[in-house]
Formats: sequence, C-alpha cells, structure tokens
Amino acid sequence: MIERMELFRAVAERRTNEIVVMTMTATLQWPLVSKSDLDFDFLAFGMGHAADFGLGLAIARPERKTIVWKGDGGILMSLGSLVTLARYAPENLVVFLLENRSYEMVGGQELPPRADFVELARASGFEGGGAAGKGKVERIDALEAFQDALPRILTEAGPHFIVLPVTNREKLPPVNHSDHAGRIRTLRKALNVS
Amino acid sequence: MSGNGASASKTVRKLHELGFTHALMIPDSESRLLYEALENDPEIDLITPCREGESVAIAAGLWTGGLKPLLVIQNTGLMEAGDSLRGCGVGPKVPLRMMVGWRGYGGATAGKLPIDSAYTFTEPLLQAWRIPTWRLMSDDDLGTLELMDQTAAETSYPAAVITGYGFKP
Repeated sequence: MIERMELFRAVAERRTNEIVVMTMTATLQWPLVSKSDLDFDFLAFGMGHAADFGLGLAIARPERKTIVWKGDGGILMSLGSLVTLARYAPENLVVFLLENRSYEMVGGQELPPRADFVELARASGFEGGGAAGKGKVERIDALEAFQDALPRILTEAGPHFIVLPVTNREKLPPVNHSDHAGRIRTLRKALNVS
Repeated sequence: MSGNGASASKTVRKLHELGFTHALMIPDSESRLLYEALENDPEIDLITPCREGESVAIAAGLWTGGLKPLLVIQNTGLMEAGDSLRGCGVGPKVPLRMMVGWRGYGGATAGKLPIDSAYTFTEPLLQAWRIPTWRLMSDDDLGTLELMDQTAAETSYPAAVITGYGFKP
C-alpha cells in the first residue's frame, strides 16, 4: 500500500509540462503539492468520466502527456470506458487508478470486494492496445517501486493504466467550488487554445 | 415540416466545410449510413465509445484541447448521457455541437401506436437543458448544421440539430 500524499509528492516532483486531470479525493489533495494552470479539477463534471475527458485531451495535445488521477469507485461508474481507452488511447495518456476499495469521498463505503482492476483493464484490451498498440497495464504496490517506475512512465510510449493501492492518513481539505467554466478557460489558456 | 432524411454523403461534406475534426458516435439503425460514411472519411476521425456518457466527456476533452468534435447521439443515448452532458457541457459552458437522432419521430408523426417514449421526451429534455435545437429532416435543412455550429460558438454553450428520419446514401 502507498500513502496517497506520498504518491502525489513523487509525481509533483517529476512533473514538467503534463496536463493533470483529477477527480474525487484527488481534487482535495493534489492541490496541496501542485499549483499549475495545467491541473484540471474534474469534480462534478460527470460521474465516472474523468479518464474519458483525459482521453480527449490526450488526443488533442499529443505534444505532452495527460495524466489522470482516477478513483476505483469512479471506474466502476463507467466500465465501458476501459474498452474505449483500450481502443483509442494515444501514447501520451497515463491513468493512475487510486485503489482504496471504497467510496472514500462519501463515507468510505466498501466497493465490490472481488473486482480486480488490473484484470479488468487487461480484459478490456488495454495491454498491447491503445491507438498504437503500446498499451501497458501495471500494478505497483510500494512507494519505492513507484518512484523507480515513474521516470519510465512519464517518458515511454503508452498509454499506461497503473493500479496503485493507496491509504490516506491525512485530513482532507474542503471541496473546491470554483467556477466550472473558469476551470475550462484556465486550461485552454495554459494550452494556448484560443 | 417535411422530409425523409438527409443524405449521409452531403451531411459529411457539410461537416468538412464546418471544420469538424472528430465525430463521436455509437451506431444506431437510423444513423447507420452516416456512421458508414464517417467510418470511411479520411478527414474526420470517428471515435466509437461504448456509451454516450463517454462520448460527451471525450468531446469536451477534445474541445478543451483545441479540436472540434461533433457528437452524433440517438435520443436514447442522450438520456443515458444526462449527467455527462450536464457536467461537461451545460455547466462549464462547453460549446458541444450535437446531432441528436429522434427515434420514434417517424412513427409518432404517422400516427402509429404505441408512441415511443424516447420520441415524447426528446425536445422537452433539450429544452430543459436550454439547448437550442434545429430540425434536420432532409437535404434542404443541411444549413441548420451551420446555424447550430455558429450558435454554439457564439454562446459557448451546447447546441443541437435533431434528425427525425434515417439517413440516405
């Protein structure tokens, strides 16, 4: 298991020009380690669809990686998205699945205990798939292993679907209620889209 | 209002004129010929998600990144995609361009029973979201695509044409 804030710190330290899309509890804690106009808070933009939004961004912006912090409860809300990612995801998409086996944001209710997210991704065709047939599925269980793998993940061709079992000891900050249209405008401006 | 469906090839030509880069579309019986025309089109990239909620979110990502997607979506899919359309289009004012297939229109307007509930709720649903709509029922209506496109751009808000008949070649 990996403490989530340690995971975020590791990515924030390595991050350069990547777009980072986040949802649910990641929207509360990622901003503690990152202040960038390339960060996109997807909370309340459409339940279960953060990685789909990231897919669109990754196709549109091939010059940089798009990272999605995705929850395991969220992936269950749109399992078909795995199949779509496995078919179309370009080489620059990285999905980090934060696996805490619960609906943490709303009280920690348990997820279906036997669902295996690595196997779901593989069965969806993600391994060896994606737009260029380079899709990779991994499960990384320890912070040291994640830190070792991160330079590779951020540079090699993907798409990547990385399952990360996480814990959280930190108190969660309050929800960001900033204007949704403003979030879109800020990201487009950061990407020099008129 | 008259019409018996627009030509798929003429519709695709119009989409070229308007600069669409991607079409997100799950095939249905009425739009089958449009799907095939887009599948074989070298200029517009066709993406076929598993469900329409995905389509909306992918389209929002494409637009945010600087591209110009078209959502082709049957009314039943529109209903499934409600939260995604709210969250990725209506709420953040993303100018999603939509072509909504009006399943049930032909039967209902011909007086056939039972009325398809998908027919009944299509226009009220779009009105509830304050999404402006135009009817694309024949080749004579292809100009509605331009109106829809301009309105979405000018208002930075979703806009839609509704197709009541199946596409012709």
